[in-house]
Amino acid sequence: MPVEIPKDKWPGSIRTVTLGATAADGGTRGLTVTVGGQTALPYMHFEAQSPNPPVVAIEIKSERPEDWSSILTEAWGEALDDPARWAARAQDAGAQVLVLALSANDTPESAVKAVKAVLGASGLPLIVLGPGQPEKDNDLLVPVAEATKGERLALGLCEDKNYRTLVAAAMANGHLVIARAPMDVNLSKQLNILITDMGLPADRILMDPTTGALGYGIEYGYSVMERLRLAALQGDSMTQLPMIVTVGFETWKAKEAKVGEGVPEAWGDWRERGLHWESLTAAALLEAGADIIVLRHPESVRRIKIAIDELMVTA
Amino acid sequence: MGWDIQSDVPPQPISMATHTIIFISAEAKPKSVQVPTGTLLADAARQAGVEIGQPCGGQGRCGRCAVQVTQGNVRLRSTLRLSNEALEQGYALACQTIIEGDTTVLVPEQEKIERRLTTDRVAAEVRPPVGYDYPHSQSVRRIHLSLDPPSMDDQTDDWSRLQTALRAQVGFETSEISLPLLQSLPATLRAGEWRVTAILAIHPERPTASSARIITLQPGHIDEYSPLWGIAIDIGTTTVSLWLVDLISGKVHAQVAEYNGQIARGEDVISRIMFSSKANGAEEMRTRVLETINGLLDTACKRVQIDAGEIIKATVVGNSTMIHLLLGIPAENIRLTPFITTINQPPLLPAREVGLAIAPDACVDCLPGVASYVGADITAGVLASGQNRLEEVALFLDVGTNGEIVLGSRDWLVTCACSAGPAFEGAGVRNGMRATTGAIEDVWINSETYEPVFRVIGGGKPKGICGSGLIALLAEMFVAGILDKAGSVKRDLPTRRIREGNHGGEYVIAWADETETGEDIVLSRVDVDNLMRAKAAIYAGFSVLAEQVGFILEDVHKVLIGGSFGKYINVEKAVQIGLLPDIPWERFDFLGNTAVRGAYQALLDWRERERVKQIASQMTYIELSADNTFYEAFMSAMFLPHTDLGRFPSVSAVLNKST
Repeated sequence: MPVEIPKDKWPGSIRTVTLGATAADGGTRGLTVTVGGQTALPYMHFEAQSPNPPVVAIEIKSERPEDWSSILTEAWGEALDDPARWAARAQDAGAQVLVLALSANDTPESAVKAVKAVLGASGLPLIVLGPGQPEKDNDLLVPVAEATKGERLALGLCEDKNYRTLVAAAMANGHLVIARAPMDVNLSKQLNILITDMGLPADRILMDPTTGALGYGIEYGYSVMERLRLAALQGDSMTQLPMIVTVGFETWKAKEAKVGEGVPEAWGDWRERGLHWESLTAAALLEAGADIIVLRHPESVRRIKIAIDELMVTA
Repeated sequence: MGWDIQSDVPPQPISMATHTIIFISAEAKPKSVQVPTGTLLADAARQAGVEIGQPCGGQGRCGRCAVQVTQGNVRLRSTLRLSNEALEQGYALACQTIIEGDTTVLVPEQEKIERRLTTDRVAAEVRPPVGYDYPHSQSVRRIHLSLDPPSMDDQTDDWSRLQTALRAQVGFETSEISLPLLQSLPATLRAGEWRVTAILAIHPERPTASSARIITLQPGHIDEYSPLWGIAIDIGTTTVSLWLVDLISGKVHAQVAEYNGQIARGEDVISRIMFSSKANGAEEMRTRVLETINGLLDTACKRVQIDAGEIIKATVVGNSTMIHLLLGIPAENIRLTPFITTINQPPLLPAREVGLAIAPDACVDCLPGVASYVGADITAGVLASGQNRLEEVALFLDVGTNGEIVLGSRDWLVTCACSAGPAFEGAGVRNGMRATTGAIEDVWINSETYEPVFRVIGGGKPKGICGSGLIALLAEMFVAGILDKAGSVKRDLPTRRIREGNHGGEYVIAWADETETGEDIVLSRVDVDNLMRAKAAIYAGFSVLAEQVGFILEDVHKVLIGGSFGKYINVEKAVQIGLLPDIPWERFDFLGNTAVRGAYQALLDWRERERVKQIASQMTYIELSADNTFYEAFMSAMFLPHTDLGRFPSVSAVLNKST
């Protein structure tokens, strides 16, 4: 007997957001990346085709990170000392987008220099994050935005108490912003309203709903992403933005991934565990609807790209 | 935006007609000016040297520039601020009126303008209830007795002699007396030469069939029309209010209020309960609130020039925690699951036991409450608001430290409570104060210059800002574009009134040289956060309550607002910040302190007192902490006016106009 599979039809859809601009559009990128556009829940291909698959980004730093796990530093080796080399290596490792995280030690000059170097070394679209201190972020990202006018970078992070300067800089220089709210549907939505109120079009915003690593609140993060996506599909325009998740950042500060000594033997091989931690966290959040997954280890990138390919099979 | 009239009128032809505009006011001689067609009335006034205030910068937002056009040809661009009645009388906003012919304009005094506005809600005046009749309504009675003097032939004891007189002259079969009154009995009887005035607590429904309790005895016969004093008390978590009332006429002779002395031991009921659970904590709490009440008594009695010992009845309301702490009854179970009070309906108690500094045998009547977090302040508030008599569904909210909310009509009532914090009572806000002399109670901010205009209670220099002023200020800062929707001050605006404070951006309402205190009056980031939390808790409370009973909030027939705001509340501004739902302004009634008003009604009339009891038994209490619906609603309301702007169409319209 034939079984009729019920299909949901949603009134809303996710906006498409394009990162990077090629020479034709006033930038220097070799290619652009477009995310979003979904009209159904993730991978429900029988309900609606997903126009843009999720993409994998690799996080690199403007200076050698002092607190990274040796599993990561071994993977990148000498490239850690040179953002340009690191960018090229990351592109070779399969990154579709690069994330350059600036350091608190950066000056406006060094930040601009690092961004320019990365842009020169790779044709991938670029996301630039400040060191995460409101004043410092603004000091570094405003000159970066000005020096890269037209590149359609994504700048972050905008938070509810500190977004105006960054949004103004993005607006004036043709960039995007990343809006980060602490794991709450309402707060995400509120921040998107604040940013669009300033006049930045919604298709130039990516939202970072904040995630936790496996074992560190991932269920909560997953649920928030799921609810954001449901609200978006139900027609709530201020939640209809693609989501970016910083899996590498969250995972590699978890004890299970970061350290190999002083932990129970039953935990098994450290390197395997660390990679599993990052790739499992990432795989779960893909299912929750993440559009851009930011990773740190090249092996996780390889695994997650395979997972995405498999998820996108429509047959 | 603003003054640019070119965009609203067609280009002016070269041969413009000019018109004569005459301005008439009570204070000065008429002034006139010649202006071309299409001139804004406000511009014409300025050219004529006539002062018309425009706090909002001429956007038709505040309505403070209303004038009366008695003759002539004008065109009104916006009439939003004016009632139909005012429009019929020719009222128009100077900043929204375009001259099209010779015109005569009457410029009213500022006071009169305010009464024309549709948004200001003024608390109802207190008048004795219609038909108040002391002999039929009161549960106390003052009677004159004339006793037969004792003699060698009649050696009856003093107390039996008094009882005999009570039986024979007023019909009370049995009567009761306290030991202290017995101790003074012989002197009292003899001082008045066996003529005595007794004040009795009686059962009002069947006075003579039940026992009468003697409250006071005074020698001689006191004038039967002289006042008989009672008090109504509302013990709020933050503010204690007391009314001194003549029980004969029903008239309120003094209204006083003060912050609750317990604040020093915790701002909310939970921290008060925790403090009271410590060693000697309960005693300290009791002493603190009694000191506050007795201090208020002192002030009220001095004002009316009576002795507090003349007060023979007190009706007390307050949330359940406040009543427990007043009576020294352990309150800790209110805080612990499953949230149980020791008593919801306390018995009548003599003032001596309670510790009130009034006649020691005076009746203290603590009115019945509903549950741990819905106390007698709410049952009395419902009585005062009249919600229990309405045919249609109304929303009653008491905006205090705890926001208590009641939805329903005469057929059903559901209630919930949420912790709002003391911000709307002016506490927990840096320059906050109670609604007394010197408090800023309304504010307008010009959205081009960011300069404020405010109204101070009493008309002098400001000392601080009261609840209604804080609501107005928050709304104005938001609408004028000083705050973003998250409540953050926009630091990049060109005004020195916005500056970096200790805890983020702040706005200066009054500079040090304009204030009573000699210090700047500011609203800080912390203050904004406190106000946001308070308004979000209250809005979330009633949106969840409505949802629970499947009622659409916008369908309520009336919104009845109680709280210690002072005399005025600007409903439009309360809607703009998302404290109140966005429904037509005329559906809001601002009632002032409903808790003390309800206590007053119950103090006067035993039937009203019975109604409070009925209300208490009729209410269904809904526990908001049962699931996370309230939290979701709260987070959603932590935005100006709300994350879901679709719930606030009128605010949305204002925002679209000003950006």
